[in-house]
Amino acid sequence: MSSLSIYDELDEAVEAMLRQPDLVPKRVNPELSDLLEVAVDLFTVPSADFRLRLKADLQHQAAAPGGVKVKTFPVVRGPRVVPVRKAAGFETDILPTLFGEGYGNYPIHRTNFVVSALLHVAAMAAIVISSAWIMEHRQEFQQRVVSLVGEPGAYALPIAKQKAGGGGGGGDQDKLSASRGNVPRSAREQITPPAVVIRNDNPKLKVEATVIAPPSLAQLGISGNPLAADAMQPSNGIGSGGGIGSGAGGGIGSGIGPGVGPGHGGGFGGGLYHVGGGVSAPRAIYDPDPEYSEEARKAKHQGTVILWIVVGADGRPREIRVQRALGLGLDEKAVEAVRKWRFAPAMRDGHPVAVEVNIEVNFRLY
Amino acid sequence: MDERLLIEAAQRDPRRFAELYENNFARVYAFIAYRVRNREEAEDLTSEVFHDALARISQFEWQGLPFAAWLFRIASNAIADRWQRNAKRREVPADDLEEAGADDGTERRAMLSQLVEGLPRDQRLVIVRRFVDQRSIAEIATELGRTEGAIKQLQFRALHSLRMRMRSTYE
Repeated sequence: MSSLSIYDELDEAVEAMLRQPDLVPKRVNPELSDLLEVAVDLFTVPSADFRLRLKADLQHQAAAPGGVKVKTFPVVRGPRVVPVRKAAGFETDILPTLFGEGYGNYPIHRTNFVVSALLHVAAMAAIVISSAWIMEHRQEFQQRVVSLVGEPGAYALPIAKQKAGGGGGGGDQDKLSASRGNVPRSAREQITPPAVVIRNDNPKLKVEATVIAPPSLAQLGISGNPLAADAMQPSNGIGSGGGIGSGAGGGIGSGIGPGVGPGHGGGFGGGLYHVGGGVSAPRAIYDPDPEYSEEARKAKHQGTVILWIVVGADGRPREIRVQRALGLGLDEKAVEAVRKWRFAPAMRDGHPVAVEVNIEVNFRLY
Repeated sequence: MDERLLIEAAQRDPRRFAELYENNFARVYAFIAYRVRNREEAEDLTSEVFHDALARISQFEWQGLPFAAWLFRIASNAIADRWQRNAKRREVPADDLEEAGADDGTERRAMLSQLVEGLPRDQRLVIVRRFVDQRSIAEIATELGRTEGAIKQLQFRALHSLRMRMRSTYE
């Protein structure tokens, strides 16, 4: 019983001390005087909450850019919170807030949580919806800029009914027309053009004269223009660039190029090899898409560009020309892209040959 | 770590001031709280002292005295300024502020904070609620779900335990 009264007496003294800290109760049980001395000093024990808040405040001040400055305001009082225990085994100096230090430094606003939650939900919804939409329209995106219709072979010129085209011509600006003769051996590449009159009897590197024409045209005998009339004197013809005839470029005939006959480029007759008549179509093996020009995109301009190209025996496009222009930079974009293409070359008699084909490039905006 | 090295580290990088703060917080608070006898005012002044010390740490020159002596000087000036601004407050003996920094009482009170931390959980909770948060016995009993008599017993045991520990430390 007496012990209970000691507890009550101590508490009464403590209560009085807390009400008036300056006044220490004078009449107390001697057994309690020592305890009250301790109780008086307990008034100087700081709250753990304040200790943490002040530390966080100082760390914030120390880490502030521009160095520390004298602070004249008292520390902001936040709501009283029970200090959070440190997680055992973790170094709280590295991530102090993660382990609860500084918790409760700032007042809690429920509206902030609501706004934050709504913003997160909206952001997640936007991500999910946009991702789904992109997946749904993936194919459109891939062809949004440019759509190439089919294999280029399908857009080559119509197949010739009987024989391949081609042609060439030459001469060395002689006053006489080219003399009649036979077509020399054909080759896929011409190094030395044919000649009736040899101007250089002792070349440093002697190479057989050839033309780029069907092998069946070649005949043994004196070289000359098989289409020319008989002449009294041998002549290379009035053309230029070597070869025989009135054309230019090292071939035989009135055309331009290393072939035989009118036309240009090579082969025999009227131009390049055409697809058909034993000449297979080239097949694109590397065909990156062209880009859409910025101005055409802004103007929502669309349509089809038709390119005429020569696909060489090596499978590379050459002599790219715009057959039908579209404008606003799309022609250049189409040429730029097709120039990068590579083909399995057209084949004739088991050999790759150069052919001309038309390429149709469609530009569509979706 | 040597206090001088801590000071030099804090002078190079103010973020290292935290170690000096931890080492001296309890005694600075005890120094101030014992004099102002008001918990809110003690917290304001303690905050002011440490913010001021952090801002002026680069000006501190090591003269062989404890860092706490410098903090006590700042605290004394802060208390004096506070009382001068508030004419209604009691007069404070000048010598109390001048010499208080070195007394054993401050160290004893600072030690008391650590001893409270070492009490059993229920006793520590009662002490903190009663003396730091200044709750009544009835409020604490309600919070802890115990009778007022039990809370008074815990208060008695806690004070007795603290007294014994203080005695073993200082006597």
